[in-house]
Formats: sequence, C-alpha cells, structure tokens
Amino acid sequence: MTFTRLIAAAALWGAAMSAPLAAHHSAAMFDDDKVVELNGTIKEMQWTNPHIWIQVVVDNNGKKTEWSVEGGSPNTLSRNGWRSTTFKFGDAVTVRVNPMKDGTAAGQFIGAKFTDTGKTIGRWE
Amino acid sequence: MRTALLAAAACVIAIGVAAAQASKPAPAALPDWSGVWQMVGPTVFDRASVQPQNGRAGDPGVREFPPLTDEYEAIYRKNIERIKAGTFPDPISVCGVPHGFPRIMNVPDVYEFAVTPTATYVLAENGPGIARIYTDGRNHPPAEELWGTYTGASVGHWEGDTLVFETRGLKESRDNDVIIDRTGLVLSDAARVTTRLRKVNDMMLEAVMVIEDAKALKAAWKVTKQYRKMPAGTWAWDYGCAENNRNPISGSGKTLTIGPNGKPLDKNVE
Repeated sequence: MTFTRLIAAAALWGAAMSAPLAAHHSAAMFDDDKVVELNGTIKEMQWTNPHIWIQVVVDNNGKKTEWSVEGGSPNTLSRNGWRSTTFKFGDAVTVRVNPMKDGTAAGQFIGAKFTDTGKTIGRWE
Repeated sequence: MRTALLAAAACVIAIGVAAAQASKPAPAALPDWSGVWQMVGPTVFDRASVQPQNGRAGDPGVREFPPLTDEYEAIYRKNIERIKAGTFPDPISVCGVPHGFPRIMNVPDVYEFAVTPTATYVLAENGPGIARIYTDGRNHPPAEELWGTYTGASVGHWEGDTLVFETRGLKESRDNDVIIDRTGLVLSDAARVTTRLRKVNDMMLEAVMVIEDAKALKAAWKVTKQYRKMPAGTWAWDYGCAENNRNPISGSGKTLTIGPNGKPLDKNVE
C-alpha cells in the first residue's frame, strides 16, 4: 500500500489487458504499453456519465498522491456487475491502470483487487 | 375531355394513396425488434478494410480504405497525422453533439430499435443518439427545404421484414465537427446512405449500409454492422454526457484530463 510500481508491459499482458474502455473521447493521452500498479485507498468513486472516476490515494513513504482513474460509463459497467458502491471510501485496493503519457497521476482503469477480501474486478490476472 | 382528365387525375391519386398504404404495413405485420442490442465488435466503422487488422479507432496509424476521392483521401491523411500528434479530438467529447449518421450505427453501449407503423426509431444509449426513419409514405423534403444536419433525413419502406431506408441531408464535416469514426474518416454534404436493416435471427440484427458521396467517394462504399441481443430484462439507461465530463478539449485539439481540483492534470495545455 505504500508504493507505486511500474510494470514493463509484456506483449501477452499488453494484448490481454490494455484494450481501452469505450470512451466518449480520444484515448491518446493514455500509454497502452505501460501498466502502473497503484497500492492505495479509495477516496471517492464518481459514479457518473460519461465516465466513472476512481480517486485513489497512494502513500509513498509519507508522500501522498491522489490518482484519478478513469473507467467506462456507469451504464455499461452496471450491466457488467459494477455498482455505485463497488468502491467505497477507505477501501484498501490495488488498481492497475494505463497511465497518462506525460507522467501525471491519472490513468485508464484496467482492473483492481481489494486487499481485505482478495476479490477482483475488471481485468485481472 | 374534361371527364377523361378527371378520371386520369383520380387514377393518379388512387395509385399514390395505394403506394403510401403499401409502405405502411399493419402493426401485426411489423417485425419484433424489441429488446436491448449491442453492436458486435469495436468502433472501427469499416472493419473489412481496416489496417492493421484489428486496429482500433483512434490508435495512431490505424485507417480504413473506402474508395475516397483524392480530395477526401488528403483530408483523411491529414486527420491521421493529427491522431498521431494527439490533436484529433472526437467531436462528441464536448457532450451534447450527436454522433450523426452513419456513425450512430457504430457506437458503444447499447441500442433499442422501436418499430411503429409510421416510423422506426434507432435509439442509441450513447448519445444524444436518435435516428428517425419515417415509413408513413412521405418523401424526402425537396432540396430547398433540406439543410445539413448530423443525422439527416431518413425515409424508408418495408420489404418483407427488412427496413430499407435512405438518409440524405447530412451535415458536411467542417473542421471535423462530425466524423464517421476516430480513425478520422469524414463525408461531405453530398453523402446519401441506403440502409437495409433486418433481423438475421432471434439474436442478431444487421444493418447493411451503402454510402454514396459524389464529393468524397469514387464509388459506392458498403459497410455492414451487426447488433447482438442482450439478455432479457437488460436495461438501457440515461446517458448524461455533460454530467461529469472531465475530458475537455484544448485550443490545439488535445483531449485534457481534469484532476480532483477542477484543473487540467496535463503538463502541456495550450
């Protein structure tokens, strides 16, 4: 929960995990060839159109960084088992994202694992 | 002579009424397209010609090969370069702008197809996305009454269980304010699309579109899209794109990402 880890994207991983979510905008800002793993806690999930946003606070040796993680539309996600309460304030999670190319603290959601229960959501291997 | 003219006029009127009635089937004869449907595959419009194969719309270097005129091939190539530079925004990113036709037949999320005796409505959840196809026997408005709109004017008739309709009066793309897909394809205001929409089987609808465009295309361009039926009871929802749009467009056409403080996170904002 205290570090951000950059994973070099192996070809197989990239093919399986980096397909973008349907978006209402260009995805040019995201780096499909990289996966960042965020270990942190949920500050907020914005269950809104056109995209949901998961705000994740990562504590890296006392330095806290808030990441903005963009997901699909609540419409499509709800048809795939998501709920507005899927991520709750304070949940300890590991979230994998395709990060922004310019290195800012934001990315496109790939999948997540809840620390307490071990349950996963999205694409997770 | 006068009697003969009146008889001829009555005959013409009768034929017209009969033609109008023939294009408006009784409700019982209408096909059942109820339920919620989802387009098969990603949002590359013409997957038959896309290169590289399985390329995704919006990824740098991905393109299709419609029979474009030199002028529109040059426009397409320019857009492809803008995609590589990250400065080709999707016009729907601003929210509230329709996808337009034929793009409305090529969107994510789900669809409903509402069939009535006088019109069929294509309801795309991702929107605003409504295409109205009138089948009440009317013709297209005359040219002087028609202006370019995103979704144009669609008039159709039934050939058995197939809805055949023509769409015209489409808006010309100006500075890419309406596109076919995120590879950068655009059409002109001369575009006309003839669509044959039918149920292939209980689980699949199919739209075969033939696009003609005297300015943009050297030949007719045929594209097929399919829609798979979702499980019974599936919901389509409101799609309020402007509810929380954290991806505005910069002056240079770059798609930005708004952070938790309401300001762009991007390092370079022109």
